[in-house]
Amino acid sequence: MPNPRRNPEIIWRIERRRRDEVLRALEAGEDVGDSGTVLLIEKGTMHQLNLVGGMIWERCDGTRDPAQIAAELAVEFAVERGELQADVDEFVKDLTARGWLLDA
Amino acid sequence: MPDITEMFSAPLTFNWTLSYRCNFVCEHCYSRDEECEELPTADLKRIVDVLAEKQVPFINFGGGEPLIRDDLFELAAYATQKGLNVSMNSNGWLLDRAAAERLGAAGFKSVGISIDSIDPLLHDDFRNMPGAWPRAVAALDHLQAVGVRSTMSAVISRINHHAFRDLLDLARAHGVGQVYLHNFKCSGRGFKNRQELDLSPEEWRAFYVEALAVKAQTTDLKISFDDPVIASLPGYEEQGLVKGSSCGKLSLHLRPNGDITPCGFIPLVVGNILKDDFDAIWFDSPVLKAMRAKEATGKCAGCSAFADCLGGCTARAFATTGDFNQPDPHCWK
Repeated sequence: MPNPRRNPEIIWRIERRRRDEVLRALEAGEDVGDSGTVLLIEKGTMHQLNLVGGMIWERCDGTRDPAQIAAELAVEFAVERGELQADVDEFVKDLTARGWLLDA
Repeated sequence: MPDITEMFSAPLTFNWTLSYRCNFVCEHCYSRDEECEELPTADLKRIVDVLAEKQVPFINFGGGEPLIRDDLFELAAYATQKGLNVSMNSNGWLLDRAAAERLGAAGFKSVGISIDSIDPLLHDDFRNMPGAWPRAVAALDHLQAVGVRSTMSAVISRINHHAFRDLLDLARAHGVGQVYLHNFKCSGRGFKNRQELDLSPEEWRAFYVEALAVKAQTTDLKISFDDPVIASLPGYEEQGLVKGSSCGKLSLHLRPNGDITPCGFIPLVVGNILKDDFDAIWFDSPVLKAMRAKEATGKCAGCSAFADCLGGCTARAFATTGDFNQPDPHCWK
């Protein structure tokens, strides 16, 4: 699979304070799947990515393929890469279909 | 809806007045009578550094006339290089072909030109500047020629509320992709001249019903309004990023000396971007907190629309009553 890169037309930022709160909640064992940490603005519409989605998005800079992204996240979350690979692949496929990610 | 600061660590847009100086004296201008120290270029770049560090994605230069300052291009290029998306609003007088090329080189994502009527004499009279109209239209053509995206802005008032379709046609003829039909703000000269220029609440309602119908049928041009009072119209379904006024929630305003106000039309300074901690302003300012948590007052109390419009335009309510929580004087309900 080619290296995904963010569509430069999409404005985005990491909501740092929010992400810190979500990380604390995650450490406390809470479900943070619906908590946005990265803000995207696409054609005037706002979208949010959750913690894992945001971490994948940050890494979609055209220098890494999905396997490398999954490997990096596996280190961050202290899990086996295989546990994350399907999520990364699905995320990249979905956002590529939307036009938010491009092939490098 | 959660507190806005739970979602946003900073505003999305800073509307930045570099100078209150202007070569025009428009009838509705909020800022023509304002006076304020202006900062040197180095300090303006320090402000850009703060905005970049806080990840504010958009800067929109207004004024005063932004092109009055010679360092506009240098500042915009610096902001662009820092990753910010830069736009501006101008009366177009100083925007010749050379200026358009410099705007393009500086990285401007879009440039808005104010045109209030297709009748040159009416526009010039409103702007108190003979010859303003042809230069404004020429500015649109210069922008198109050099490939800078243009927008057109008209402040809706008694001179043009029945003629907005003509403005849309003018925009089409000059390569404009988006038209802003701004609501009239009773601030500054707009406050002094509001009896002559402002519409009645019933006229505002009629304008929006008509304009929204045109918008729904228009596919070749983006038509934008920035008036929260529209949300009280039956059947209005557009969902903005926030309810009510976006000032103090999605956007803030910078005065020429670095003072921050919730918007250009609300003269309450909540801090200075070069002297104060920005996070303390954004998260803890009592003024911003009050604007983000408006209470239904007067006829808003018990009104079924309040949940959607949040009392309408906060600036207008404040200008006419001194209280954020009072109903927008344009409200027709």
